[in-house]
Amino acid sequence: MITIDEITIVRDGREIIYDYSEQIPAGSITVIVGPNGCGKSTLLAAIAGDFAPDKGVITIDDLHPILTSPQELSRIRAMAVQNQSFTLGFTVRQIIEMAGEADQVIEQLALGEIADRLVTTLSGGEAQRVAIAQAIAQNTPVLLLDEPLAAQDVYSRGRIIQLLKELAEEGKTIVVIVHSSESELSWADKVIKQFH
Amino acid sequence: MPIVLLILAAVGAISVGSSQINGFWSVLFNPGSNEIVWQIRFPRVMAALIVGAALGIAGLMAQGACNNALAEPAILGTAAGASFGAVIGIATGLVQVGSLGALAWGTAGALLATSITFRLAALRGALSSFNLIIVGIAVSAIFTSLVGITSAVLNRADARSISFWSLGSLALVTNENLVGIIFTTLAGGVIAWSIAPKLDRLSLGDQSAFHLGVNVPRVRFLALISLSLLAGGAVSTVGVIAFIGLAAPHIARFIYGPSHRGLTLHSALIGALIVLVADTLSRTIAQPNELAIGLATALIGAPILIALVTVKNNVWRTQ
Repeated sequence: MITIDEITIVRDGREIIYDYSEQIPAGSITVIVGPNGCGKSTLLAAIAGDFAPDKGVITIDDLHPILTSPQELSRIRAMAVQNQSFTLGFTVRQIIEMAGEADQVIEQLALGEIADRLVTTLSGGEAQRVAIAQAIAQNTPVLLLDEPLAAQDVYSRGRIIQLLKELAEEGKTIVVIVHSSESELSWADKVIKQFH
Repeated sequence: MPIVLLILAAVGAISVGSSQINGFWSVLFNPGSNEIVWQIRFPRVMAALIVGAALGIAGLMAQGACNNALAEPAILGTAAGASFGAVIGIATGLVQVGSLGALAWGTAGALLATSITFRLAALRGALSSFNLIIVGIAVSAIFTSLVGITSAVLNRADARSISFWSLGSLALVTNENLVGIIFTTLAGGVIAWSIAPKLDRLSLGDQSAFHLGVNVPRVRFLALISLSLLAGGAVSTVGVIAFIGLAAPHIARFIYGPSHRGLTLHSALIGALIVLVADTLSRTIAQPNELAIGLATALIGAPILIALVTVKNNVWRTQ
């Protein structure tokens, strides 16, 4: 379970998140939805341990992300950022293998056809799917995905949502950011719309 | 294959020069049997190989730590800092040109300048590769000016030897000089090898590398130490040799792919090969005169790099 306890996050003098508390249950899919600039990605990054909230505490199963070493934290949570950039010409398979075993997730996300392509040649949607695959390959109890459905076609969206459901059934805690334009959210166990 | 090529090139380099060696193969298999071969050409060829390898790996560390294709020891201030450290050591009379002491001072100067670059680039929060390059160019310019000013106030004899050394030359290297640079190259190379898989992850950006378990500041610090040992040792022994730090990792990447562990070895081999061929050309092409080695390294490395970028530019995203 992820516990968010009265956190406040200030960026460039502006309160992005103020005195916000939430509990995200284990073994479920929680969707954070909202328009651009409302602080969705900031909240996810704080859960991932990228930085400490200015006030309040976030814990993942009693573990404080900001007090945990990067290596230990990487065994607890994985995260796919929005607009992952690839500067070096690794293959798709090599990128996924940086996180863990690649074969299964390549099959699950139908990446077989591009597995040997260089990531520097991928489209935005393909690159995002590779980032998701890498996070899944990390095989952690907590999975954080920043707008994984953006730039995906209908077929890929269906595959991603189906895979997330299967992972949640296996007991993983999944937090997904989606844009407010996303209307169909019946696949989520919990939807968070207000966190200011 | 590259190792075989390197051995053949090294033997060829030892065999050519202004003096003809009678019974070359017999001399080659009898260490110490010929003064020209074993006291002059052998240390020079060994220095070319070691300096080339050091600068090749140093460039790889610079590019990997900054996640930027333009980074190299000269851009980040490392080379200028090494020159400054060595010149200060010489100016104060504590060490001599090419000595082990000069190497220690040069390495310390490289570490100082590179640390200043990294520290200033991170003053306003996250360390961006853009800031690193801009600050590095500025720090390099400052240390280059300090080297010029220090050289100007030295006595004439010291200034002349510093001037000769700072242009980049392997002519003064002796077997004794090799000890120090072998040590700094091995130490820097081992650090580079150990952090190579983490540099692969760092190519995804600081945030993603952190998510994959990389302690980003620690890896950058180790890359900085490796870079300073490698470039500091090379520059303080043979002066500034341009272009190798930039070209060798790129050529290796085009041929062997982006994995940093493989690149550590291949950047070293390609750097060694270019410096060896360039030094052999620089001392034989205009006999009895000798060209500055930097002229030849650029003439050999640049066309290869241009050809590879033109034909196969898919290993580093440029837009």
